[in-house]
Amino acid sequence: MTETETRLREFESDLVVESYEVVAEDVVAVTLVHPQGEALPAWTPGAHIDLILTPEITRQYSLCGSPADAHRFTVGILNAPNSRGGSRHVHEAVSTGSVIRIRGPRNHFPLVASPRYVFIAGGIGVTPMLPMIAEAEAARAEWTLLYGGRSEASMAFIDQLRAYGDRVTLLPGNDVALMSAALDDRIGTPRPDTLVYTCGPEGLLGAVEARCASWPTGSLHLERFAAKATEGAVDTEFEVELARTGITITVPADRSIFDAVQDHGISVLGSCHEGVCGTCETVILGVDGEVDHRDSVLNDEEKASNESMMICVSRCRSGRLTLDL
Amino acid sequence: MSAAIPVPRDCWYAPAASSEVGRELVPVRAAGLPVVLYRTESGAVVALEDRCAHRAYPLSAGELIGDTVRCGLCGFVYGPDGQCISVPTQPHVPYGARVASYPVQEADGLVWVWLGEPGRAGLHRIPDLPWLDDDGWSTVSGEEDVLASFLLLHENFADVTQVPFVAPDIAPSVLGSTPPPLEVVVSETSVSLHRDFPPAPLPEWQAEIVGCPPDAPYRTEQSGFFPSPAVWVDHWDAQAADGTWIRLRFTHLVTPIDESSSRLLWAVSRDFALGNRAVDQYLGGIFTDYYERVIDAMEIAQEVLEIDGPGPEVNVNADAVGLKVREIVDALLTAEGA
Repeated sequence: MTETETRLREFESDLVVESYEVVAEDVVAVTLVHPQGEALPAWTPGAHIDLILTPEITRQYSLCGSPADAHRFTVGILNAPNSRGGSRHVHEAVSTGSVIRIRGPRNHFPLVASPRYVFIAGGIGVTPMLPMIAEAEAARAEWTLLYGGRSEASMAFIDQLRAYGDRVTLLPGNDVALMSAALDDRIGTPRPDTLVYTCGPEGLLGAVEARCASWPTGSLHLERFAAKATEGAVDTEFEVELARTGITITVPADRSIFDAVQDHGISVLGSCHEGVCGTCETVILGVDGEVDHRDSVLNDEEKASNESMMICVSRCRSGRLTLDL
Repeated sequence: MSAAIPVPRDCWYAPAASSEVGRELVPVRAAGLPVVLYRTESGAVVALEDRCAHRAYPLSAGELIGDTVRCGLCGFVYGPDGQCISVPTQPHVPYGARVASYPVQEADGLVWVWLGEPGRAGLHRIPDLPWLDDDGWSTVSGEEDVLASFLLLHENFADVTQVPFVAPDIAPSVLGSTPPPLEVVVSETSVSLHRDFPPAPLPEWQAEIVGCPPDAPYRTEQSGFFPSPAVWVDHWDAQAADGTWIRLRFTHLVTPIDESSSRLLWAVSRDFALGNRAVDQYLGGIFTDYYERVIDAMEIAQEVLEIDGPGPEVNVNADAVGLKVREIVDALLTAEGA
């Protein structure tokens, strides 16, 4: 018997833009279908896909259509003024009929069954909330949505959200004091029967995180758009034992674990390379030293547990790691 | 230590073939729940909780009257929506006298039942298995209750390292000597594998059916799919030197009965030697024997787990498929709050 080489990858496909619709100031909803009408992989609320826009630009966008629709992926895209090129590319170069390569879906923001939800969205962070709300409705859960934004004209999908009546509270105007009071009202007091889901800009997420500190473990679920800043991080060389493969490799100071593993011809999944998308999450089997978690996917408890790590950015401060690779 | 793996309920399961459900009460167990299946007079399949709301007694032991079911012990009568519509001892039906009615769909000759939160049924899909109910294919099949968890069965189907050991006689000749690279494709809820085998003779049984010389080279493409915990599908498509294809589909419908046992409905479909009864018999024999071996192995594994508990397991790179199956099942259970 000889060796079986295993090549692991995520689902990838060229899809066609079926519709491209301006749904708010600087926000477009892009719906993608398979060119031959084939079914797309199933997903659940909170999932996102990569849009591979150019060889250099791959970006993650939450799916905001219906998981029941086997043939369409819909994403909402903001043309952010401080865009690193991804959303600008979509707004300038994409139109109906364009072909876009996608990868995924994957989900690091899953909706856990609960009798009661508080959804808190800032700006374009509302996109994953749309299928979550539909699912909460279907399951007859109690829910509210607090949705803040710059102005009503800039807030996407408010017409469909208004149909839900007073369960949806819109807070246009970027009014920090108003948002702060609304957050106190919604999540100021912990409730054991409630899960909090939030997605939006860092300021909002920080405010929600601070208020949920006293909630039961596992109550808060949040998704970041962009990598958390890592300040003063020092990269050093360390060793990684790859348990499945049965070899030990050295990760040089100027390479990530992800790169070093690939350098040895081992197939691993990865996408964003900045600790945001969660694709390269890898199980930690042993730690001799200290894991330096630098991602924006795991919460503090998950990081402290050292059960897994994002090998595209996270490292080991000294010594050696054993990974399930 | 418990080896029990909770069973996901937010999934469409196929506990019975359409042909098995008619104007009789058919009891099945799925995802830890007792279910009774029957058809209404207009032919629609109904799935009810198989336990009378009055006392512990299966409705399936009662009687089907028109579109209603009457309990064989107390005479409570239930409609297809699970609501009790009459009781023998008083004029009014007591409040709360109802049994659960589960969403049902029929597709590809199978009865699919949803045992999760009813509102979420529409958000999940039933996998397409068109070859099971298409004139272009002939199918042999079998059913078995297996004393092993649904996850062990899936891990077995996902485990390409086992095939040459469990079934060296029916595996392609090249599998043992020069296995080609294993391509694994994952998404949030599914995993598939793919291998392209270089030209080699067909397994003996297949060459016999096709009627080709035993050494005629065929290029084979194998794909395996895990679309949901209810199904594992394998495609074995072989192409002769003259370009003609012969295709096989192995469908494994896995319905968890409870945490440690499962119903396995297996089907082997082919797009050659169509409608040939002798071939049906021959294939039926080969694969009944093959699935018995698989089931024996899985029951032994389940026994080890039950006696000694889940132990540390060593993984190899080729386990990527089975490990992804576990990850998907774990995510489903987490989302259900299980």
